[in-house]
Amino acid sequence: MLKIAYFGKTSFALETKETTVLLNPGTWDGESAVPDDFDCRVIIVTNHEDDALGNAAEIAVNSKAWILGNESTIERARERGAKAWLLHTLKPEVPYEIPGLKVTPFSLQKRSVETGENIENLGLHIEMSTMKVSYLGDSLVRGPFGHLETNVMIVPVGGEHAFPVKDAVSLCIDALPQVGIPVRWTSEDQPKKFAKYIEQFGQKTTPLLMEPGQTLEVQWAAGHEFRHSVSSESPEPE
Amino acid sequence: MSERKTVVIDLEETEKAAIGELSGLKSAEARGILSVNNVSDRSRIWNVRVLLEESAGGTSFSEDTLSAGEIDAGAKWETDYKVDIRKPILTLTERFDTCGTVPTDKPHWAYVYGKENPVKITIKVKNETDGQLDNIVLNKTIPPELTMMNVESTSSGATEFDEGTRTIIWKDFVVYPREESTLVISATGNVEDTDSRSAGEIVVTYRGEDQQRSGLTPDMTALTEFLTGIETAETEPNQWECILECSNESDLMVRLDKAEVYLTPEDDGEKQKMIDDAPRMEMFPNQEWSSKFEIGSKSPPKCNQEVVYTPMRVIAKRVLGTIEKTPQKLPVARIDYTKEFDPPEVGSFDKTPVEVTIEVKNVGSARLNSFTVEDSLPDDVMPPKPEHVTAWVKGREYSGELEVAIDPEDQNPEVPHKMTFKILNLKDSVGEVEPGETVKINYAIMAWRNRPEKEYPSPICCEAHTYPEGLAAESASAEDGHKIGILYKKRSISTKKGINKGSDPGQFMVVLVIENKGEVTVENVEVTDWIPAGFEYVSTDPVEEAPMEKPVDDGTNLVWSWARMNPGDKKRINVGVQAGEDAGEYERREPQVTSD
Repeated sequence: MLKIAYFGKTSFALETKETTVLLNPGTWDGESAVPDDFDCRVIIVTNHEDDALGNAAEIAVNSKAWILGNESTIERARERGAKAWLLHTLKPEVPYEIPGLKVTPFSLQKRSVETGENIENLGLHIEMSTMKVSYLGDSLVRGPFGHLETNVMIVPVGGEHAFPVKDAVSLCIDALPQVGIPVRWTSEDQPKKFAKYIEQFGQKTTPLLMEPGQTLEVQWAAGHEFRHSVSSESPEPE
Repeated sequence: MSERKTVVIDLEETEKAAIGELSGLKSAEARGILSVNNVSDRSRIWNVRVLLEESAGGTSFSEDTLSAGEIDAGAKWETDYKVDIRKPILTLTERFDTCGTVPTDKPHWAYVYGKENPVKITIKVKNETDGQLDNIVLNKTIPPELTMMNVESTSSGATEFDEGTRTIIWKDFVVYPREESTLVISATGNVEDTDSRSAGEIVVTYRGEDQQRSGLTPDMTALTEFLTGIETAETEPNQWECILECSNESDLMVRLDKAEVYLTPEDDGEKQKMIDDAPRMEMFPNQEWSSKFEIGSKSPPKCNQEVVYTPMRVIAKRVLGTIEKTPQKLPVARIDYTKEFDPPEVGSFDKTPVEVTIEVKNVGSARLNSFTVEDSLPDDVMPPKPEHVTAWVKGREYSGELEVAIDPEDQNPEVPHKMTFKILNLKDSVGEVEPGETVKINYAIMAWRNRPEKEYPSPICCEAHTYPEGLAAESASAEDGHKIGILYKKRSISTKKGINKGSDPGQFMVVLVIENKGEVTVENVEVTDWIPAGFEYVSTDPVEEAPMEKPVDDGTNLVWSWARMNPGDKKRINVGVQAGEDAGEYERREPQVTSD
C-alpha cells in the first residue's frame, strides 16, 4: 500500500512501510506547507524556487533526510544550511534508487515566480510499493509523461507558472492514470473544471480533489485490481 | 264582416353580449320595450292598463299593472325595461388556428416569425333556443397580415368579402332550433416583427321572431267606443220586456267579458240580478249583442247594467341580438441564439477542453413550451457524454427532463457527431419560457489535435414551439457556421548527429539527439539513420530504444518510431557500430525524420 498525504499547494508525502518521501515542501506567502519537524527519509524538490524548496533544508536537518534535486536546487539548499552529505543532484532521466524507492527525473520546465523566465523543473516518475506516481507539481511542459505508465498523476492546473487546466487534462487523457490529482490552482473553479473534464474525457481516470490533511491510499487488490480511498488522517511521519 | 283590428302589445327585447378573445362570455344584458299600439284608424282607447300579473319577475318592472292612459288612434304607448339574462340565445365561437395544417385539440395561438403560417379560422353560431333565428349577419374583420384568404366552407348562407374594410360578411341564412352553422376560412399569415397581432373582431346580429328573453305575459284592459243600454218595453199590461243592448262602435275588435243587469224592485227592495252573462264574445266593429228578460211591473222597471268589455289585443314579440367578440391577441414566436466556445480558439495539434455554451432566447412575444437544439460537432473533436450536459431554464439550473442524443453514440474524436438536445413540455415543469427569458445549454468538448489548415465548422439549428405544437420558431447558423478557431502552433523537430570513434578498433559510436523544439506535440515520429555498407549495427544505449534494422542496397537503415513527442521531449540515443574488414571511412548522412 502507498499512502499519499497532501499538505496543500504542491506538497505531498509518499509513504510506504519502507520509506517516506516528501515532495516539494514549498513556502507560500511566508507560510511553510510542511512543518519543520516532519520526519522523512528523502525530500525531492523539483526546482530551486521557494514554492518548491521551501523549508526543505530545515526538515532535512531535523530528520536527517536526503534532499534530491537538480543542480540549482541543490545549490540553493546548500545555501540554506542543508548538510552537504545529505544532498544529491539528480541527473535527467537517470534513475535514483534506494530500497523501496525508485525515482526517475525528467528535465521539464516551469515559469519562474521570481523572474518570469522559464527555468528547469524536474518531472518525477516515482515507483514505490509497486505503484507508479508521476509528479509534475510545478511543470509547464509534460515531457515524456504522456506515455509513461502511471497509476497516480499529480498535475498543476493553475496556469501562469505551470500547466493550465487543459494541459493537465490532456496529459491525463494520454497517460491514462487510475487517479488524477490537481494541484497548484489559483482559483476554485480550476480543480473543478479539471475534475469535470477528466470525468467526461478521461477514459479510465478518476479525478480526485484532495484537501490539505487528507491522505490517499492506493493499493493493488488481488494483485491487479487498483483500489484507492481517501481518509482525513493527518500525514504521519515515518 | 269588418276587418279584424286588434290592439298590439309589442315586446321587442334586445340582447347584447360580449365574448372574450377565446370566445368565453364576458357579459350579456338585455333590454326590452313594451309598447301598446292602437292600430285603429279612428277609435281612441283609454283607461288602458297593461296587466303583467306575476310575469314581471326577472325584469325591472316593479308593479304588476302598468297604466298607459289613453292612446289615440294610430298611436302607441311604450315603456322600456331591463331583463336579467345569463347568456345570449345565440352562441358564437371562433377558433383562430395559426397552424391549421397540424390537427390539435386546442388551436395554435401564436404566429411564427418569418414563416408562412397556415391560418384556419372556424366560426360557429349555435341557436340555443327552440325557435328559429334569422336575419343573421356576421362580420369578421380580416387582419392585414393575412393573405391568400379563402372561404373553405359554409354550412349555410353566403359570404362576401369587403376589400375596403377587409371584412368577411356572412349572411342570408337561418339557424334552426338547437342547431349550428359553421364558416371556415383559410389564409396565410406572415409577420415580420414580434408585435402581437389582432385576430380581427367579429360582430354578429340576429333576430329571434316570436321569442322573448323575459317571462312577460302581458294582457290589457281598456275602453273604447262602445255603446250599452237597456230598452224596457211593455208587451202586455204590466208586463215588461227588458233588453240589454251592446254595440261595438269602434273599428277595433272588442271582447265583451261581462254583461249584468240589476232590477230595482218597485218597493225599493233588494236588487235582483236579471242578466248575468259572461259571453267573452269577440265583437267586430259595429257588431251588436243583446240579452233580455221579462218582468211584471206596474211601472217601468228600473234597471242598472254592469258591462265589462275591452278592446282585443294580440301580443307580438321578438328578440334582436348582437354579439361582439373581442379580437384575439396573437403573439409571435421568435427565438434567437448565441453559441460560444471558451476558449474561442485552441492550439493546433493539441488536446484542449472547450466549453460550449448555447443560449436560446425568446425574443418574440409568445410563451414557449419546448426547445430543440441540434448542434453539429466536426471531426477532431471528442463529444461529451450525455450525462455531462447541463441546462438552465429561465436562469435556473434545469433538473427536469433533458433529452440528449449523440449520434453516433460514442466519444470517437475521428468522426463528426450530431448532438440533439430536447427540453420539452416546460408548462408542466418550470413553466413556459416567457419573452425575454432564455434556455441555456452547456457542455464541454475536447478539441483533439486539430490541424491548422483545416476548418472545423460547428453549425447549429435551434427550434422552439408553443403549446400545442405547430410550426417551429427557428434560428440557425450557416452550414459552415461557428468554426472552432485553430491557433497555429509551430512544429519543430530537431535532429543532431555525431559520429565518434569507439574505444575498440573499428568501433564507432553514433550519437543521435532528437528533440521536439516546437510548441505542440507531434505524433508517429519516425527517425531513420543510415549505416554504410561494411558496418554492422551492434547496440543501442539505452537498450529500450533499440531500432528496427532494414537492409538497403548501400547499407542498413535503423528506424526508431515513437507514438508521440511532446514539446521539450528529447531522445538521446547512442548507437554502437562495428566496422567490417574493408569498411573504410564511416560516411555521414543526415538522419531523416517524419511525423504527423
